[in-house]
Amino acid sequence: MEELFSIFVKGIFIENMIFAYFLGMCSYLAVSRTVNTSMGLGLAVIFVLGITVPVDYMLNKYVLQEGALTWLGPQFATVDLTFLTFILFIAVIASMVQLVEMIIEKFSPTLYANLGIFLPLIAVNCAILGGSLFMQERAYDTLGQATVFGLGSGVGWLLAIVAIAAIREKIRYSNVPAPLRGLGITYIITGLMGIAFMSFMGIKI
Amino acid sequence: MDPMNEKEPLFSPKNVRLLKQPLVKDNPITVQVLGICSALAVTVKLEPSVVISLAVIVVMGFSNVMMSIIRNITPPRIRILVMLTIIAFMVVMVDQVLKAYMYDVSRQLSVFVGLIITNCIIMGRLEAFAIANKPWPSFLDGVGNAFGYGWILVVVGFFRELLGSGTIWDINVIETPWWNLYELGYQNNGLMILPPAALIVVGVIIWVHRSKHKELLEDN
Amino acid sequence: MAKSYSNAYIFRFALIMVIIVATTLSVAFAFLKPLQDANRRIEKIMNLLQAANIPVDKDNADSLYLSHLIAEAMVDPATGEYVSIFRADGTFELGEERAFDVDMRKLVYAQRLYREGRSEDNPALPLFMIRGTEGDTLFIIPLFGRGLWGPVWGNIAVGADRNTIKGATFDHQGETPGLGAEINQRFFMDTFIGKRLFDQEGEFQSVKVVKGGVSTLPEERRIHAVDAISGGTITSDGVSEMLFDGLKSYVPFLQKAI
Repeated sequence: MEELFSIFVKGIFIENMIFAYFLGMCSYLAVSRTVNTSMGLGLAVIFVLGITVPVDYMLNKYVLQEGALTWLGPQFATVDLTFLTFILFIAVIASMVQLVEMIIEKFSPTLYANLGIFLPLIAVNCAILGGSLFMQERAYDTLGQATVFGLGSGVGWLLAIVAIAAIREKIRYSNVPAPLRGLGITYIITGLMGIAFMSFMGIKI
Repeated sequence: MDPMNEKEPLFSPKNVRLLKQPLVKDNPITVQVLGICSALAVTVKLEPSVVISLAVIVVMGFSNVMMSIIRNITPPRIRILVMLTIIAFMVVMVDQVLKAYMYDVSRQLSVFVGLIITNCIIMGRLEAFAIANKPWPSFLDGVGNAFGYGWILVVVGFFRELLGSGTIWDINVIETPWWNLYELGYQNNGLMILPPAALIVVGVIIWVHRSKHKELLEDN
Repeated sequence: MAKSYSNAYIFRFALIMVIIVATTLSVAFAFLKPLQDANRRIEKIMNLLQAANIPVDKDNADSLYLSHLIAEAMVDPATGEYVSIFRADGTFELGEERAFDVDMRKLVYAQRLYREGRSEDNPALPLFMIRGTEGDTLFIIPLFGRGLWGPVWGNIAVGADRNTIKGATFDHQGETPGLGAEINQRFFMDTFIGKRLFDQEGEFQSVKVVKGGVSTLPEERRIHAVDAISGGTITSDGVSEMLFDGLKSYVPFLQKAI
């Protein structure tokens, strides 16, 4: 239990997808105009990460790794399918995103319109594939750990995008040089936030 | 579908615009906000920036063409899956072939395989253009956007390497046989090699870019 | 886009696409694998020889390896005794396992299971004995660990005193270019030369990659540390960890009287 908690907290703060690894920046920068939209996208990312990481974990454990196919029979012990990693992971992610897209389109047309092209782009949100690849690389022992890691990373991403959205809502009242308004100042603020988040690095839990 | 059979000339004004538009006015990084992750990850030095730009140009051109060819038989409900499969398939194939025949090149490139697959610029253009257009314009759109993406990367890579490491393409320009700025008290800016610096450099590029092109100004 | 498709069509489309993609990839992979394996083999040999500071290129790697190899050995981690010795002439003097064939990723995983008490089996350790350019014997220890984005690995060449590092190579799969990726650059690998694994009392210290620089450490610690690459903190920590975990298993062997 303690271990799961530490994986979760690590995923949110210390190994924050946005500020520590700078993954998933495109939708982060483009959709962070208002807190509401960001919240919606953040929840979608949590949902997708929370499902794809455990699914990819099972795939990795029972299909991809060398010797993973032994459950089919001992003659498969030397089959190594790791070269299919990218294709399979991305296929799982894409189908999940497609699912989320259909759900959002049905239940919240406003959010659907607000997200625009960035909804299907969750599929190529590097944070999502990054989550699965990190999971594979860190070789988590149980399905539970992988799931918690996925959820933690998702919550970290949500936190980051909601934070920047809140800042952007406030900054509208400030006198930013005209050419920097909007995207430009967002880039710079994110850079500064990234530097601030570096203070979490090196903390061991 | 053969572009040769079309009445329109290959480089009609419309097609040339497809190629030129993304370079400045509709730049993927500074205007469309696509492909940022890789722009942050690889631009510490000039060399990797150039390598990934070239790789993206190739992958984008061809995946746009492939998507465009099968656009009429692809069910929209699984289009995301189809697009990503095309991209991942192409990138993995190229990577495998390089690993077998050009091992040294593949050592350089395999680092970027994951980054290219999840580069939203590629899928972004598939979704926004190739899925509704003919192969030849799609190819131009892909190449144009990849160039627009590439030159920003190269500029960012140039400044980060110069200010952060004091070198250009691994050649030291601060300490040379003719002059040595370190002796005068110059110091490399260590901040420039950290990823957040890329965000700040891109922010400054946008600043310059938009003061030149007033029509791009935003209001929030 | 306005056309609507039946579920059966969607299913058929996806199925055909998956089959085409999977078959092409599998055929390509099966066809290219021998070539890729040959490339990896040459790279492994080159890394081993480079750790021993022997200049090598792709074409002479095989012959240089044969002429410089004294033996490939497997070492029992508990006692430090050899359990297998393979000579350059292709014969086994002892046992029947070649250090060259050890998959480091699997070895490290098996070691972790053993350390955590989940497995009884403490695997034997690979070791290469290579004659250096000056005719001295070097023990080369292969290492495997984790960096920021993926695996990092390397070789440490230890001199005949089984303490002083004579050379090192590192490589990685996908560390950040310009930051962590610099671990495979000469300037970083060469800083390991002359460092020691054991202190005056004979206690195992490993070699640490220190953020902020070796000069921040007390005098007596500096022989066990090298400068980290600025901006590559997580990769540097990964290298430190890999050195400590990897070399620790070899301590019984390294502490043996020569």
